[in-house]
Amino acid sequence: MADETPKTTAPIPRTTRPLSEALLNEKWDRCASSFLIRSGLGLSFGVVFSVLLFKRRAWPAFVGLGFGAGRAWEECDNSFKRAAGPSKDGLRVIRP
Amino acid sequence: MLRASILRARPALRSIAPAARPQWRVAQRFYADEKKPGETAIPNPAPTVPPSNPTVSDGISKSSTVQTTSSSRTAPVEQPATTPPTGPGSASVAPDPVQAPKPKKKRRIRRFLFQLILLSTLGYAGGVYYSLVSDNFHDFFTEFVPFGEDAVGYFEEREFRKRFPGRAGQPRLHPQVSGENKVTIPGKSGLSSRPAEASGSDLAGKGPHVSAVKESKPVDPQTSAAGSASKGAQESKKEAGHKEKPTESSSHDLLPKGSSKAKAESKAATTPTATASTPITQLDHLSVPSASEPVVQDVVKIVNDIITAINADESHGNKYDSALNKAKSELSKVVADINLLKESTQKSAEEQIKAAHSEFDSAAKELVRRLDVQMHDQETHWKEEYENERERLSATYKEKLQSELDAAHNVYEQRLKNELIEQSIALQKAFSASVRKQVEQEREGRLGRLNELSSSVAELEKLTAEWNSVIEANLKTQHMVVAVESVKAALENQVVPKPFTGELAALKEIAADDPVVSAAIASINPAAYQRGIPNSAQLIDRFRRVAHEVRKAALLPEDAGVASHIASLAMSKVLFKKSGLAVGQDVEAILARTEVLLEEGDLDAAAREINGLQGWAKVLSKDWLSDARRVLEVRQALDVIGTEARLQSLLVD
Repeated sequence: MADETPKTTAPIPRTTRPLSEALLNEKWDRCASSFLIRSGLGLSFGVVFSVLLFKRRAWPAFVGLGFGAGRAWEECDNSFKRAAGPSKDGLRVIRP
Repeated sequence: MLRASILRARPALRSIAPAARPQWRVAQRFYADEKKPGETAIPNPAPTVPPSNPTVSDGISKSSTVQTTSSSRTAPVEQPATTPPTGPGSASVAPDPVQAPKPKKKRRIRRFLFQLILLSTLGYAGGVYYSLVSDNFHDFFTEFVPFGEDAVGYFEEREFRKRFPGRAGQPRLHPQVSGENKVTIPGKSGLSSRPAEASGSDLAGKGPHVSAVKESKPVDPQTSAAGSASKGAQESKKEAGHKEKPTESSSHDLLPKGSSKAKAESKAATTPTATASTPITQLDHLSVPSASEPVVQDVVKIVNDIITAINADESHGNKYDSALNKAKSELSKVVADINLLKESTQKSAEEQIKAAHSEFDSAAKELVRRLDVQMHDQETHWKEEYENERERLSATYKEKLQSELDAAHNVYEQRLKNELIEQSIALQKAFSASVRKQVEQEREGRLGRLNELSSSVAELEKLTAEWNSVIEANLKTQHMVVAVESVKAALENQVVPKPFTGELAALKEIAADDPVVSAAIASINPAAYQRGIPNSAQLIDRFRRVAHEVRKAALLPEDAGVASHIASLAMSKVLFKKSGLAVGQDVEAILARTEVLLEEGDLDAAAREINGLQGWAKVLSKDWLSDARRVLEVRQALDVIGTEARLQSLLVD
């Protein structure tokens, strides 16, 4: 039996779909990373603008940060809301 | 040219009369617009006339203003006074005092006329053309415009010829082919109605008739009667009478009664006619109604001919009246004599006939009597003969009957003897057959025992064979049970989920087309045996992880955003945990119950509990639930197969 089992184990294609209990965690991860990236981008843009146009005032940098963070928040919110509904995976859809 | 002159005139006008400008401009514009050749082409010649007139008759005020304005100038003041209709126009258009007004006016009239003609021609041509195009306008044009019909007709004719060149030369009327003379029919020719004349005279005969009415009528039937009489000598007397009678009646009607002498047999009457000029009396024709003899008819005809001859002769002067009357009376006497003779002969003939009748009757009676006697004699004779014949016939028949009876008796006796012989033969045969049967029965009794023995041996063999099959089936079921057990063991003892396709294949092979086993295996989801299923310990372990995640999402509202997720995450940390078989439908209670059920090993109930989750909790626990379902399926299938194996082992006996 022990000899046979490695033979019989055919390379079954594992789906890349995450386990269902990890869905929420994955979303959190994505949200955090996007939050970081977008707020960083916004901040950098704000800094550049403040240097170039606004005589090194502080507020453009904060505004950029706010834009980035807001975008990330919105995206995250959207992803959570979209995933809330019961997924149609594996259900047969009967069309009239 | 005209416009040029106007244009030339304008600046001068403007400079000269600035005070009267508004009125001037009104008047001038009106006039100049009308005179433009581009615009004058549009209206009909009729409207072109008004422009000169309205300027005159528009109103007294306007003309007066024009006059007043023109009076302020020098030369043209007199012009409107001399010729009123063209006055204001000239005043407006020709302000130049240097130019001679008279030739200009003439030329203008000529020009106006020329334009008028041109316009009317154009209008006419346009009308003709449009009437060729539009039917509606065609009707209007031909009806109301003078010579419009001719013009349109001419063009239509041309078009027709162009379209049908073959008939181009022909006029539409029928042509006169050769030089034949024209036939003129006079007006009074032909039939004409006329009232019919009331012709009282129906003249049949020719010749002179003094009084056609009165003479012809008696003559006409008479001649016809005579003709018929001469023709039909063998005609019946009835017919003759019929022919003669009308003449009698007609003569009665026509002749005046006072002048005609009525006689009993013959109607010979001298008739003094009513002719006033001549005293000659017309003789009446003879008519003998009872003259049936052809000879008499002939005589009557002759006499009548004579009478007609005399009547025709007007100059006889009644000379033959007496002679003719005498002849008529004689003739009637002769006729009467003939009738008498006829009657006497008829009477004698009747008497003779009666005598012959009586004679014949007596003879017939005698004959009948004789016939009766003869018939009686013959009847008695025939009766005797009949009796004799009957007796003879009866005797012969009796003899025949006797002989036939004897023959039948003999035949019957012979048949009886034959039957007896046959019966004895049959009895002998039956005896021999029964003897043979007895012998054979004896023999078969022993053979039957031998057969019984052999059959019992065969039964024994069969029993042993069956027993063998029972053993085989038992072995088979044992194999099956072992295989099922091996599958179960493989599933339980795995560290990580492993595929168990090989075990299932072996089980199917052992089952060898058992429908229940194959159905049970088919009911397992292929993903289950291809990927493997977790055992109960793994399931519980995974459930713990899932429960942790589900607990985090336990407080989420519907359609939750980031904020609510964060809130739920934070608040779930401070929730009190439930344990045991908690009551309620909240997520915490469900999780606690599921855990207890899983620890008890009731996977089915646990799966049911988890299936009752809602929203995010359900989404998170979906994979675990499907895993649990697959495990349940496999377990159920294996249970079914094990039960089937046990059933098989029970069914063997």
